[in-house]
Amino acid sequence: MLLALGGLRRTRLRVGLTALGVTIASGALVSMVAFALGIQAQAEAPFKALGLINVIRISPEKGDDAAALDDEALARIEALPGVEVAYPEFRVRGIEIARGEQKAKVMAVGVPRQVPLIGTADDLIVAGEYFTPGDAPEALLAVPLARELGFETPEAAVGTTVDLNASGLAPGDAETFTFTRKDLTVTIAGVYTLPSMMPGRMGRVVLLPVDVMKDIPGIRAAPALDRLRDGRGGAGAGYAKATVRVHRHTDLAPVEEAIQAMGFRTRTLLSRLEKMRTFFVVVDVLLAAVGTVALVVAGLGIINTLLISVLERYQEIGICKAIGASDGDLVVLFLTEAGIIGLLGGVGGIVLGRAASWLLELAVNAYARSQGLTTHLDLFAFPLWLLAATALFSVVISVLAGVYPAFRAARVDPIQALRRE
Amino acid sequence: MGDAGNGETFVEARGLRREYRVGPSTVHALDGLDLDVRRGEVLAVLGVSGSGKSTLLHLLGGLDTPTSGSVLVDGRDLATFTSRERTVYRRTVVGFVFQSYYLVPSLTAAENIALALTFQGTVGAERRRQATEALRRVGLEARAGHRPSQLSGGEQQRVALARAIVHAPPLLLADEPTGNLDRSTAEDVMALVREIHHDLGATVVLVTHDQEMASRVADRIVHLRDGRLTKEEGAAP
Repeated sequence: MLLALGGLRRTRLRVGLTALGVTIASGALVSMVAFALGIQAQAEAPFKALGLINVIRISPEKGDDAAALDDEALARIEALPGVEVAYPEFRVRGIEIARGEQKAKVMAVGVPRQVPLIGTADDLIVAGEYFTPGDAPEALLAVPLARELGFETPEAAVGTTVDLNASGLAPGDAETFTFTRKDLTVTIAGVYTLPSMMPGRMGRVVLLPVDVMKDIPGIRAAPALDRLRDGRGGAGAGYAKATVRVHRHTDLAPVEEAIQAMGFRTRTLLSRLEKMRTFFVVVDVLLAAVGTVALVVAGLGIINTLLISVLERYQEIGICKAIGASDGDLVVLFLTEAGIIGLLGGVGGIVLGRAASWLLELAVNAYARSQGLTTHLDLFAFPLWLLAATALFSVVISVLAGVYPAFRAARVDPIQALRRE
Repeated sequence: MGDAGNGETFVEARGLRREYRVGPSTVHALDGLDLDVRRGEVLAVLGVSGSGKSTLLHLLGGLDTPTSGSVLVDGRDLATFTSRERTVYRRTVVGFVFQSYYLVPSLTAAENIALALTFQGTVGAERRRQATEALRRVGLEARAGHRPSQLSGGEQQRVALARAIVHAPPLLLADEPTGNLDRSTAEDVMALVREIHHDLGATVVLVTHDQEMASRVADRIVHLRDGRLTKEEGAAP
């Protein structure tokens, strides 16, 4: 190690330039892979943040003897192993939300009260908290909606009340529907932010507990109408859709199978996500390949530097042999030097890649802000494994590049080396 | 002079021939040389430039292999050694001192000595201790942290000597060790060689063209000319 460091120290400029080549190459490698990972994370974030990966959407089959998707069915589904929660899916557009004179037309979405909307709900709630247990009429507002209703900060909205005005058709006993209006006063329990890259219209959403949503007029009209079209009575209709959330994504397949066995249709996002992941793996590999080519070119620089070093230190190699160095010792010596250059370049590359990515991200976000985008875009992801792999890969490529010079050094004839003055 | 050896042959060269091809011609560096070196003696090999002195030393030190003939050290024929055995032989049996010192310029005096120990597998605190002890033996403890460029010629040769003897080799091979030194420094270095020889009991083969120096330190002197021994003188007075 002493000799290796000494050798490198003597030709600082040359070694520095060689390490710079490795730095640029590994910097390119790490930032390109980080970009692919960052984009992948951005694309997956909404699914993950909203817990959509562990979700199965279910709907009843068509037909006379199709099982009804009602509370009883949901209770049976919820009892399945691996299921966290099962609840009817309620989405109603055109609900008016009012706070004094401030009004907005929003979509109401029903979410279960008993467990947080998603695993990472706390990360999304920027003020207040998730629904409280019990049956208090509460709501969660998206940040843009809170702003639209005149709240200066999300915190200002928490604890205040807003009025909801909903209207729709409520199914009667037989084949009649009644147009109903309903005014509802709800307390704002919390304000949530949307994951980045979510469509902007999602900002006009109010989340209500499922039990509150059940009282919204029109919520049960669609399945009742479907039953009537099928020639069955409108009464006894279940829900049009329901959402089942499982604890782990590994629970998805068995739960989905069990639900299908109960006679319901199922749909998951995991299969779509898997396709997306496959695409990103291809992108990762392509970008890593480009980075690797750069690193291999830098490796040629290492070969060159070490070959010159072998020539310059010809006599030193002879001395080492005279005082007891084996061929293996000399191979190790030059491979160590190559490894040190690789490590310096690898670490430098990580720093360079990180810095370049940071600057690029800064510029992209500045541009995005100028275009009216409010969310911060994390374009690059630098997981620890990527940093470690970059440094390791850089060292491995460098050591491989050092093999030929190292064997040249080992083959030096000590007599000829010592004769050279 | 000191011990003249115990009479037992330690190094034995028989019919030693070493030829080099230089372009179309063949150079006979050694031409059928026979030589016995007794255990514990200081043998000086005298000769002019090109007489084959250094080639002889390289063959005795296992750095080179003869075109024909054999070198036996302690009864073992170097020609039968594998590459690995030759390396071990150089590590454990031989200590080399060269005219041009051949210290590694990027390393300090102590590190140069430690390097030899590293190749021998000595590491850590023991390596430091032995390197310091070797420097103390040549009187350069205070210069342990100096690089060769910060040392005088005499000091560099003393560091080289310390490096050569740090593992207490039974055979010390010195190739014109005073060739680059002024008279007074050369005498200091040779006195050190004698002292080390006395302390370690090593067999010393000293190659030089300095007759006076050879007479002063050697137990026995042999003259080499055109790759052959031409004359042998007994122990110096």
